[in-house]
Amino acid sequence: MLETTLEQLRDRALERIRAARSVEELEAVRIEALGRKGTLAQASKELAKLPPEERARIGRLLNAVKQCLEETLEARRKEFEEEALRRRLDAEWLDLTLPAPEPRRGHLHPVTQVQAEIEDLFTSLGFAVLDGPEVETEYHNFDALNIPPDHPARDVQDTFWLTDGNLLRTHTSPVQIRGMERFKPPLRMIAPGRVFRNEEVDASHEHTFYQIEGMMVDREVSVAHLIYFMKLMVNAIFRREVAVRLRPGYFPFVEPGFELDMHCLLCNGAGCPACKQSGWVEMIGCGLVHPNVLRMSGIDPEQWMGFAFGLGLTRLVMMRYGIDDIRYLQSGDLRFLNQF
Amino acid sequence: MKFSFNWLRDLTEELNVPPQELGRLITMKTAECDGVEPYGAHLARVCAARVLSVEPLGAGRNVKVVLDTGRYGIKTVVCGAPNCRTGLISAYVPPGTRLGEREIGVTVIDGVPSEGMLASGAELGINRDATGILELEAEPGAPLPGCEPDHIFDVDNKAITHRPDLWGHHGLAREVAAITGARLRDPVRLERIPEGDAPVRVEIENLDLCLRYSALALENVTVRPSPLWLQYRLQAIGLNPINNIVDVTNYVMAELAQPMHAFDWDLLRGPAIFVRPARSGERLLALNETEYHLDGRDLVIADARGPIALAGVIGGLDTAIHEGTRRIVLESACFQASSVRKTSARHKLRTDASMRFEKAQDPVNTVRALARALELLGQVSPGIRVVGGLADARRPLPPAPRILLPVDWLCRKLGRTVEAGEVKRILERLCFAVEEDQPGTLRVTVPSWRATRDVSIKDDLVEEVGRMIGYDAITPQAPAVTIAPPPAGEERLYHRAVRATMVELGFTEVYNYSFVSEEQARRFGMDPEDHVRVANPIGTDRTLLRRSLLPEIFENIVENSKHFERFRIFEIGREIHKQPAGLPREIPHMMAAVYSRAGVEDGLMELKRAAEHLMEGCLLCPGPAQPYEHPARAAAVMWRGTAVGRLFELHPSLLEGRAAVLDLDLERMLELRRDEKRYRPIRRFPASAFDLSVIAGLRELAGNLSRQLAELGAPEVEAIEFLRQYSGPPLPEGKKSVSFRLTVAAPDRTLSSEEVGAVRARIIEGMRARGYEFRL
Repeated sequence: MLETTLEQLRDRALERIRAARSVEELEAVRIEALGRKGTLAQASKELAKLPPEERARIGRLLNAVKQCLEETLEARRKEFEEEALRRRLDAEWLDLTLPAPEPRRGHLHPVTQVQAEIEDLFTSLGFAVLDGPEVETEYHNFDALNIPPDHPARDVQDTFWLTDGNLLRTHTSPVQIRGMERFKPPLRMIAPGRVFRNEEVDASHEHTFYQIEGMMVDREVSVAHLIYFMKLMVNAIFRREVAVRLRPGYFPFVEPGFELDMHCLLCNGAGCPACKQSGWVEMIGCGLVHPNVLRMSGIDPEQWMGFAFGLGLTRLVMMRYGIDDIRYLQSGDLRFLNQF
Repeated sequence: MKFSFNWLRDLTEELNVPPQELGRLITMKTAECDGVEPYGAHLARVCAARVLSVEPLGAGRNVKVVLDTGRYGIKTVVCGAPNCRTGLISAYVPPGTRLGEREIGVTVIDGVPSEGMLASGAELGINRDATGILELEAEPGAPLPGCEPDHIFDVDNKAITHRPDLWGHHGLAREVAAITGARLRDPVRLERIPEGDAPVRVEIENLDLCLRYSALALENVTVRPSPLWLQYRLQAIGLNPINNIVDVTNYVMAELAQPMHAFDWDLLRGPAIFVRPARSGERLLALNETEYHLDGRDLVIADARGPIALAGVIGGLDTAIHEGTRRIVLESACFQASSVRKTSARHKLRTDASMRFEKAQDPVNTVRALARALELLGQVSPGIRVVGGLADARRPLPPAPRILLPVDWLCRKLGRTVEAGEVKRILERLCFAVEEDQPGTLRVTVPSWRATRDVSIKDDLVEEVGRMIGYDAITPQAPAVTIAPPPAGEERLYHRAVRATMVELGFTEVYNYSFVSEEQARRFGMDPEDHVRVANPIGTDRTLLRRSLLPEIFENIVENSKHFERFRIFEIGREIHKQPAGLPREIPHMMAAVYSRAGVEDGLMELKRAAEHLMEGCLLCPGPAQPYEHPARAAAVMWRGTAVGRLFELHPSLLEGRAAVLDLDLERMLELRRDEKRYRPIRRFPASAFDLSVIAGLRELAGNLSRQLAELGAPEVEAIEFLRQYSGPPLPEGKKSVSFRLTVAAPDRTLSSEEVGAVRARIIEGMRARGYEFRL
């Protein structure tokens, strides 16, 4: 009798579990069947009235029904939860092709970028990175570099003079002098910076541009060492082996002085309009530091030797990125700057 | 400076290097040669031809000419030259010849096929005469006398500023001989200078300014066009043929680098030539038909009446050679380089002579040039005679400098071994005299033409040897030096970090000029007189050095707003501040700007965030605005108690849209920056929090409220977080409510709810005492 009731009770509950439409309905079934005052609890009260042998058998049945219902309920609840999670995730569909919110990352000026590369290269080689003023004294810009007044080399550098008698530095070379004044030899330094020449501006000329100066003073510094560093630098800048050649060049603050040419990157040395068919482009002016320059900075040229070089950073940037008009660099035009 | 290959060949023997290769060698061993171009290639095809008959054609000037060309047979051409006549020998250009850009063919002119043409000197590149066809003395079919195809070397002037000798062909020929092993020929025969008293007296007032003045007087002069070969030589290197006398002076200059001048002797007043500073108020009407006003800084050549030439720069028109000149005085002098350079710069007059003198010419050369000129004048002005002997005023010529050159030192400088014998050979090929002083040391005597400025110390000889052995012959070598970390460039690294932060935050870096105009300065409230001023500005908009990055950043904003709705830019650059004495102060600043055409207002907050990224704990102190700032949106930026910059919106009257600007003094920021982080133990006892909404005036600064809460809440209040602010009903007009969350804690225990309540009560009471209310 009780056995039948239990089986009916179980079947009815199972039927309702199957029919449940939500976690709430399922919970209602659970309370009704398995709750403290639920049907199964009621039935268990009947158990006490049964004879002992009956009681054990029906008791086992009761437990089996209870376990069956609990498991079914649990399984069904999991189904509901999974369904709910699935719906939520589906509802969270997001179009990842939409643009990310502003602001976008900005852009470093191309000169900053190339300059940083060269600074890092030389820092790794033990060179200090020095700086000097943009407004210079005539002494540092010319005299101390072995360019006395009325030296024809002053003509080559059209100078912006200031009404106070100072000038805008025409090259980064005065930082050599400031470096030697500040540090005693041995000394290894580079000095990138802004320089000025009083020139009409066109696609290939600017009155404001950038150079990198370099200098090494030590007990033994030779042309062979200079060539070593120049090759190292050119290869690092262009990230490949570039053919270079050294030929005589005249700069009053070095002796001997050189121009370093490298193979034209456009034609690889075959000759093209960019290199005036020569296959070579001028890259670096360099040489061994003139003893007058060392002496003027208080360094004994019989004890110390040095090399110095100057590199057109602006020119290098233009070559690196294929920029055909120098004026963009100082234009502040974002149509240009956003490309870097 | 242009050089003729044929000329160099005349000055050497056994030069067997083709022009292009020679150009490369000159570049690699002497001075940059910008190019080697063929010149007069057509002259291989052009020949003399006799006009057999001339027949008028129609109404124009053209005539039909039948020619005996010798080499090409009888030819018919059409010619329009006024001097075309029967019997004339002229220059015939056959069809198929290229004359510059144009190719000569058979063209029908006035119905007559013209088989080539008769040409003028200008058309052939021999001189600049285009008034008629050439008139020659030659057999039909013969090449034009002395006019052979040539190659022209263009040597960069900048590369020979230190080499006075390379401003003439003989100097370059000397290099070519040293490079190639060819033998050098000296065109000068000094024995041509006659003995005797000079008919013209030369007086030099200051031997520092004029080191030497040599002169010869000549008579029985015929002034006429130079022979073709001479005209062609000058024309090929870009000098203008004028007449035989002037052409000879130019020829000698181009050959020996010695500028010369010829005066018409009959036009000189008095028996003497004076070399003296000009007197104030003196004037010179020069050969270029310009009048120059002179003063004591100018050195002049003068006769009894006054200046007849500006020394080393230009001759005077009044005493110039003209068609009727019969007697001349030839000047060959050496002037002080810097004096010529100054005069030339002051009068903005650079001439072939001044360019050479300012390189410091060799005083030995003056008489050599006269000897060479005499020889040439004899060729171009038959019958010319020297009157008397040489006038030669000078100080004693300096002794030839001697340099001791230790060969091992030379090898150390080059980084390569060179045998003493090879060093000696190289230097001797360059005309240095070399003896062994003691083993391993050479005593080198410098030739006069290298001694004026170029070669004076042993380092100069390193270059001579290095370039001749070739720098390709030196193996690159890493130096053996102490390895040590370089001194830290703190400022540079800091600027790098600032740049990186700004870029991360969306700002793009611009570079601007260091120049501003007076108008730009005034617009941004700066007095032009407080600026460093350029004495020779490139334009009126670039007269001052910037004291602020703002004027140019403002230009960037205006320009970019034409292309972009919204953008962010920044610049790191130097402000240049005038000082009472010495160099100006250069202060690195970072200026950033956010622009929105639509007037979106969050630019200021973006910049505030940037400032906080750069300076943890920086504060903004709103205060009085500059005239170019938005009066209600401007604040000083403070960091660690120091003002480091400003944050503001540009005054809306300055532009369309909204632009917020942040200006920071990087020098000061670098000083304030410190890296002294220390670990503090993490608090072990839990904190509590409560919210407070303060009711305050609408323009009360949230920062002020927060600071007061912190004062009153100390020491238990650990953090104060701004939550929101609100104005509107039910709050009274003119009031707002600002809500904060306060976190309270103690380091050694958990605060009880009574203790927390007491802190809250203390704060509320304190604020009420200061006139604030609360929404509770």
